[in-house]
Amino acid sequence: MFTPHTAVDPSSTDILAIANQPYLWVTAVGVFVVIGLQSIIYFRAARKAGPEAGLTRQESIKAYRAGMVASIGPSLAVCLIAITLISVFGTPAVLVRIGLIGSAAYEVGAAGIAANTQDAQLGGDDYTQQIFATSLLAMSLAGAMWMVVTLIATPLLKRGTERLSAGKGATAMAIVPGAALLGAFGTFGLQQIAAGMGPALVTAASALVMAICLFIAKSFNQHWLREWGLGISLLCGLVTGLLLTQAGIA
Amino acid sequence: MSQTIADRSAADSWAEFDRTTSRWGRITMLATIVVMLAGPVILAFQVGFEPLATLGSFLAIASVFGILWFVEPLSYFPILGPASMYQAFMIGNISNKLLPSAIVAQSTIDAKPGTRRGQLTAVLAICGAATTHLLGLLVLVGIFGTLLLRVIPDEVTSTVQVYVLPAVMGGAIVQMVFSNLQLRVLIIAVAVGAVVVFVLTPLFPVIGYFAIVLAVVSTVLLALFLPGGNKHQHAEELEAEDLS
Repeated sequence: MFTPHTAVDPSSTDILAIANQPYLWVTAVGVFVVIGLQSIIYFRAARKAGPEAGLTRQESIKAYRAGMVASIGPSLAVCLIAITLISVFGTPAVLVRIGLIGSAAYEVGAAGIAANTQDAQLGGDDYTQQIFATSLLAMSLAGAMWMVVTLIATPLLKRGTERLSAGKGATAMAIVPGAALLGAFGTFGLQQIAAGMGPALVTAASALVMAICLFIAKSFNQHWLREWGLGISLLCGLVTGLLLTQAGIA
Repeated sequence: MSQTIADRSAADSWAEFDRTTSRWGRITMLATIVVMLAGPVILAFQVGFEPLATLGSFLAIASVFGILWFVEPLSYFPILGPASMYQAFMIGNISNKLLPSAIVAQSTIDAKPGTRRGQLTAVLAICGAATTHLLGLLVLVGIFGTLLLRVIPDEVTSTVQVYVLPAVMGGAIVQMVFSNLQLRVLIIAVAVGAVVVFVLTPLFPVIGYFAIVLAVVSTVLLALFLPGGNKHQHAEELEAEDLS
């Protein structure tokens, strides 16, 4: 983890010599700590407000555990993608940028754009420490903009919805979150089908496996399948994808 | 909804939840911005800070992704609600990890989105997802990342990269529909999605950026204002549940 200071040479292409410096690890762990603290504060606040909103203590724990279990599959997939990018960005930057705040698609795209702006290729012979450092700063600043907009827009949107829900709008507004969720996921799903044969078949396989899981969960009273269903259908979807690739279908 | 809640203490306890999450959500998000930028800033000065190249790169990135800074928070707000907004944009992977986790949790304890019970369930599910993800990242990427990089076959990695999104979406959508069947809204959502994905996007490729926000806004508006909604009955059911 420790890298001697002499490894810094702006024209060198040894990116990993500067990308793993101790202070980068410290700030990366710092982001983990802040998110961890937020989760603890939110968990306590939600559990406290629960009983008055019809959510018992026991159900609070169940909801938390369901979130933990359901995210195992998606989280492993993100970790795997992050691992493949360690050689490009170094572990600390990958942890913060790809693992947490950003996404692989944005970061790789942004890193490529930043390198091109400086007349270099991401990971190419001309991708020096200087260009890496400048790119990482630009990527991080641009990545921070999502949070800046969230910080400004959330209180405004909240005031707006409170005004709409006051008085007669209240009953109508109750259907908004469910409709918004269906609207978003309906389009996500159709986008996968429009993306081509491979993604369409993988979506269908995952959907089918989930339907089977939920059927078994209901018919045979196997409640745990409601929590594990997402992980199982994700895995079956990916296996379908792997088979399709090997068969040369998509 | 507050109008129908006669119980004072329920309103008070919700107001307290609201205050705590708004205040600490903002504080932790600001702290994340500072800590997250500290590393790259120090690195830039260590290697030789180039203001013009940084600005140029930032603007080039903004020209491609800048629209998403505004579109994503706007599209997710109606789904997440104010409290979870601060969680989601720090933890990341909202559509492929956090929302599916919230759907699973709501399905597990039969909580409906749009109720306070449903919103608290989503907050707790996102806390759970954060726990799993922080641990997974620290151990698999932070500690064993370099090692695993050498053992995992390229084929597996590329499959995951290409197919992770459809593999999550298929399952998440089925669970969402089964756990909270609203046939009318579902039909609207699919019709809107079909128009956005198969008609508008091919005609105007720029819509790709706005596809989700367009779908969310259209579905919500049609669900609210299209006749035959029986929406009052549905809302009353939700409220009845809210107080139960």
